[in-house]
Amino acid sequence: MENVIELQNIHKVFNGFQVKDFSINVKKGYVTGFIGGNGAGKSTTIKLIMNLLQQDSGTVSLFGMKYKGHGKEIKERIGFVYDENVFYENVTLKDMKKIIKPAYKNWDDNTFQHYVEKFELPLNKNMKNFSKGMKMKASLAIALAHHAELIIMDEPTAGLDPIFRRELLNILHELMQDGEKTIFFSTHITTDLDRIADYITFIHNGEHIFTKEFYKIEEEYALVKGKLDLLDIETEQEFISIRKTNAGFEALTADKNRVANIFGDSVIVEKPTLEDIMYYTKKGW
Amino acid sequence: MFNLIFKDILIQKKVFLIYIATIIIYLLIDVSPIPIAVVCSLTFINMALSYDEKDNANMLLNSLPYTRREIVSSRYVGVLIFTSLFIMLTYGGSFLLNGKETPFSWKAILLIIGIVMVAISLLLPVFYKFKRQYLMLAAGALFGIYLATIKLLIPNLNETLRELTRKFLALQETQMYLVAILTIAILYIGSWLLSIRIYEKKAF
Repeated sequence: MENVIELQNIHKVFNGFQVKDFSINVKKGYVTGFIGGNGAGKSTTIKLIMNLLQQDSGTVSLFGMKYKGHGKEIKERIGFVYDENVFYENVTLKDMKKIIKPAYKNWDDNTFQHYVEKFELPLNKNMKNFSKGMKMKASLAIALAHHAELIIMDEPTAGLDPIFRRELLNILHELMQDGEKTIFFSTHITTDLDRIADYITFIHNGEHIFTKEFYKIEEEYALVKGKLDLLDIETEQEFISIRKTNAGFEALTADKNRVANIFGDSVIVEKPTLEDIMYYTKKGW
Repeated sequence: MFNLIFKDILIQKKVFLIYIATIIIYLLIDVSPIPIAVVCSLTFINMALSYDEKDNANMLLNSLPYTRREIVSSRYVGVLIFTSLFIMLTYGGSFLLNGKETPFSWKAILLIIGIVMVAISLLLPVFYKFKRQYLMLAAGALFGIYLATIKLLIPNLNETLRELTRKFLALQETQMYLVAILTIAILYIGSWLLSIRIYEKKAF
């Protein structure tokens, strides 16, 4: 399967934070959810992908090309939605379009107009009066107007109300229908991913923990609940981490079948949420 | 690249009338066109830089299909275009107000462009390396030094500057002009290359 984004053995030391031997691949035609806690390195990774930051060593390639010598070609094909405002505040969306449009060869005014109407965006209002959700939609309209093949989003749902979030997810779902687009989407609101993500990439402390198909995570991981007397040095090894209370323990395993064999009916095995996986992984670090 | 220059005008289009009004007011109170064009050009460029910094524009511009070299170069080319624009506005205004008595000379235009180019050559690399706040701090310090100089050393500094300007405008030697033009051009190009180097290594 073709990779749209490939990061290989990236090292980057940056403002007291570091990414070590970091490698990820993002597959073409799918939605990849990029999860990790605050400060795990999500924004840094996205900045590396966008060439806003340069790695100390390792390679970044997009569409099989490196930034050196192909920067413009690559960025022609990327649409971006950032967590922070990147628009000029005292400028209307109409003028913002005039600023951005000439940068792209494939700009399509009709598509832009279509999404402006669909998202109910005001063209003659200054960007500073746009709500966070409207700015996000404006970024998305711009990304779609130049027919971006890869859409990179840094926390697009953070700070949006639930209705807005669901709307966004529906839009993204629609976009994926033709199978040509790829979405790479960082978030810490993991429930958003249930509805849309095909793959999940999880990072923690600047390290890549896993990239898996969403359904496989449910097959492999399990949340196990049982009495404290079931735990000893040996059985504790089976878990990523364990939370003990007076009432018993709750623990996460990456090998559901093995745990089922060991403990049998003496424990309750549940489907973990992504949040459970993030919580226990961080705890067991 | 010209898209990026056009962008600066688009952003400031709403305040453009203020620039024109300022020029007219200064002309009416008989200020020489040289300081008017210099001050307007530098103000315009400073405003453009401040918009780019305040609104995270570097993230936007670097995410669009522009190279970092183009982003920096558009500034250096833009400065020349904006200065020419303000020279035209100032002299055009002066012509409308004073008719044929407009004190137009090629030397004055060279002087305006020269001053702006020198100022920008010094400012832009600092702007790309540090934040604009430091630029304002540096400008504040320079103004302080300027005031102190007037007070302590040369009580008639403004008079002296005016005298120097007059002397410059009265100069006849072509050779000296060539040397001055060449020096400023080298300074400008050097500053341009330095800014590209600084900007290419920058993280956003």
